[in-house]
Amino acid sequence: MANEPEDIERRDESAPPPHSAAASAGGPAAAAREDAFAGPPAVRVQGLWKRFGDQIAVNGIDLTLPAGRFIGLVGPNGAGKTTTLSMVTGLLRPDSGLVEIGGHDVWRDPVSVKSRIGVLPEGLRLFERLSGRELLGYMGRLRGLPGGEVDKRAGQLLDVLDLSGARNKLVVDYSTGMRKKIGLAAALLHNPEVLFLDEPFEGVDPVSAQTIRGVLERYTASGATVIFSSHVMELVESLCDWVAVIAAGRIRADGPLAEVRGTAPSLQDAFLELVGARGRGAGADLDWLGGGGAR
Amino acid sequence: MSTEAAPAAAPQGAAPSLTGVFVRLKLSLLRNGLRRSTGRALAYVGSVVVGLLFAAAAVLGLIALRGTAHAGALVVLLTGILALGWAALPLFFPTGDETLDPTRLVMLPLRPRPLIGSLLVASLVGIGPFVTLALVTGSVIAVAHGAAAAAVGVVAVVLVTLVCVSLARAVATASVRLLTSRRGRDLAVLSGLFIAIGAQGVNIAAQKLGRPDGLSVLEPVGTVLRWVPPASAVGAVEDAGHGAYGRALAGLALTAVALVLLLWWWQRTLTTLMTAPDSSTLQAVEKDSARGAAAGERGLARLLPDGRTGTVALRTLRYAWRDPKSKMAWATALGVGLLVPVVSAAQGNGSIYTSFSASALLGAQMYNQFGQDTSAFWMVASTIATPRDAYEELRARALALASVAVPFVTLVVLGSAAVIGPWSDFLEVYGLSLAVLGALLATGALSSALFPYSIPSEGNKNVAPGQGAIAWFSLFGGVAVGAVLCAPLLGLTIWLHVAGLHHLLWVLLPVGAVYGAGVAELGLRVAAPRVAGRLPEILTAVSKG
Repeated sequence: MANEPEDIERRDESAPPPHSAAASAGGPAAAAREDAFAGPPAVRVQGLWKRFGDQIAVNGIDLTLPAGRFIGLVGPNGAGKTTTLSMVTGLLRPDSGLVEIGGHDVWRDPVSVKSRIGVLPEGLRLFERLSGRELLGYMGRLRGLPGGEVDKRAGQLLDVLDLSGARNKLVVDYSTGMRKKIGLAAALLHNPEVLFLDEPFEGVDPVSAQTIRGVLERYTASGATVIFSSHVMELVESLCDWVAVIAAGRIRADGPLAEVRGTAPSLQDAFLELVGARGRGAGADLDWLGGGGAR
Repeated sequence: MSTEAAPAAAPQGAAPSLTGVFVRLKLSLLRNGLRRSTGRALAYVGSVVVGLLFAAAAVLGLIALRGTAHAGALVVLLTGILALGWAALPLFFPTGDETLDPTRLVMLPLRPRPLIGSLLVASLVGIGPFVTLALVTGSVIAVAHGAAAAAVGVVAVVLVTLVCVSLARAVATASVRLLTSRRGRDLAVLSGLFIAIGAQGVNIAAQKLGRPDGLSVLEPVGTVLRWVPPASAVGAVEDAGHGAYGRALAGLALTAVALVLLLWWWQRTLTTLMTAPDSSTLQAVEKDSARGAAAGERGLARLLPDGRTGTVALRTLRYAWRDPKSKMAWATALGVGLLVPVVSAAQGNGSIYTSFSASALLGAQMYNQFGQDTSAFWMVASTIATPRDAYEELRARALALASVAVPFVTLVVLGSAAVIGPWSDFLEVYGLSLAVLGALLATGALSSALFPYSIPSEGNKNVAPGQGAIAWFSLFGGVAVGAVLCAPLLGLTIWLHVAGLHHLLWVLLPVGAVYGAGVAELGLRVAAPRVAGRLPEILTAVSKG
């Protein structure tokens, strides 16, 4: 499905060269429009709502994310990133709203959607009493891939993700970084068009993070879309070419990285301004702190 | 404290002072532990009082047995159970005695041989060894007739107590890596099961022994056990009383050899433990390569069909073995399913109809299927797009369950017919059992879709707090519906009996099998679209807690 030749060509045309901030900075709005006309957006969300008891977790989100990009969903803790991603991927039912992936409605057309997306959720467990190899074999076969093909892809993914030595170890005995990597492998196994990763770098050591990064860059270079959430701005700034800022259950800004950053020196500054945390420094109230006069 | 004491004492001969250090360490730890809270002190004093009272009562009881016909067999059995208890104790209560945790001694410059001696003496301080000493003394008094027997008895008491204590220490030392690892925590989840099954065993034993001349059933057990150390030492006392000095000597020697072997094993594992690096990670890797190479798994996988059915069934069966919660549930169902007919047969009021427990308990495993997945259910949910996918998922789980349940139910019903009888009821009960299994698979699938609840991954609880009502309602409601589903078959059975058509009762086997399969299939088909339509709701329900 995702590797039909014409599909790849189209994606290659519409995708900008990876990580060329200058290219998208040249005409961000034009590039976005070009994406929009090249085919259906990777994700289209309209009026998405979710309430847990009295608390509104997602407060009417409208968002269109172009295909073939490396997209960062950024926001402070509790902003609604995980809730939004769960609803977009069909793991949580929204109170209201429309979600389309590649032009297919997530809730009305799950057959088209589920085969096109890969998911790495945060805070949900894996089948941890399987070994890494067994877990990939299980997921691939559930996805309907032929057994031989699953085993071939699983072996390659385990190699690339540096998990070959632990392929027969139970996932319950894996470290955090290894779990993220095996989760990523399970999400990539069926070669999805759109990959959703919730905090893929949280608690991951630098070596594993670099491995994950390498795989994701290679994957987007082929024209696929990665949408990942994070609250580490430096990471998002170095990886993504498109950003959506979410705070208190609403989208504060979205668009090409350069456009969202605007005149701010870094994405971090732009982000603090957008979520209204600018100038809320730890200054005035703690004037007794430091200076050596221990009292 | 021992860091200073041990090297200082070493030149003059480490053994005696080291023993003093360990005994004092044990007493100070006990005292300091009690000082920390009044509740703990009260609990400790309470357990001491109860222990002493129990010991006193047991000793009096044993002395009262003196001269009765089967006293010999009874005390031999008692000693055997005592030793078994000491061996099992460290597995269930790994943190029982911190002075004996060898990992705390790793940094100290201690030689193995004096260390073993000192640790052994230190382990003798406590209520447990005291109660053991009292029970063994009582046992010896019960069977010691004459001066020679008394002399052998004194040696026997010392030997048995030492064997019990060193057995516990050796087992604890050998399994310390296991008990502090993930595998050890998995084992702890299962400990409740051993206690439950053990309690059933005690229940049966007490009922048997309570009958007139019930003690005579002990004789064959006693004949074997009196050659198994440390019970052989107690057996030796009785032999000495009869003048069979050769047998007596052999019995004592067996226990003495066992003590030496235990101490040697303990010293060896202790030395390995204290000198080898903590290689839990290396061990894990080694075991894993073994798992990958295991041919049995591939063989099992080859037997299963391709596609979702085989994949899901294989995962379910792997979980039944590897996941402590699933293993506990399976072991309970299999164990209790077997125990009910066995217990009722042992109590003498058995009926072949008690073998329904096997199909009822195994069928109940179908309930809350997705709760057993915990939040990993998202992996299932993200691959189910149509009711057909959901149907295949449920059917594969039902098949995995049936692949164990059908042979097991067959064996239990066959066994009940053979032991309890009559054989004439076999086909009827077997057919009805299969129908019950099918009905429970059907209602289990439906309740998995409609009333999922989460199972906490840690501890012994099977239901997260606040969900007890859902769990009980779905289980009891489901069983009631299952009974209603079986009503046509029950009606047929009753009609055949009432109408006197006993020669046609065999019909119930094929009818029951077909009915069970049919009703299960129907249940899966009704449940499948509900699973497919409620995936996010099920995921939310099973991820709680």
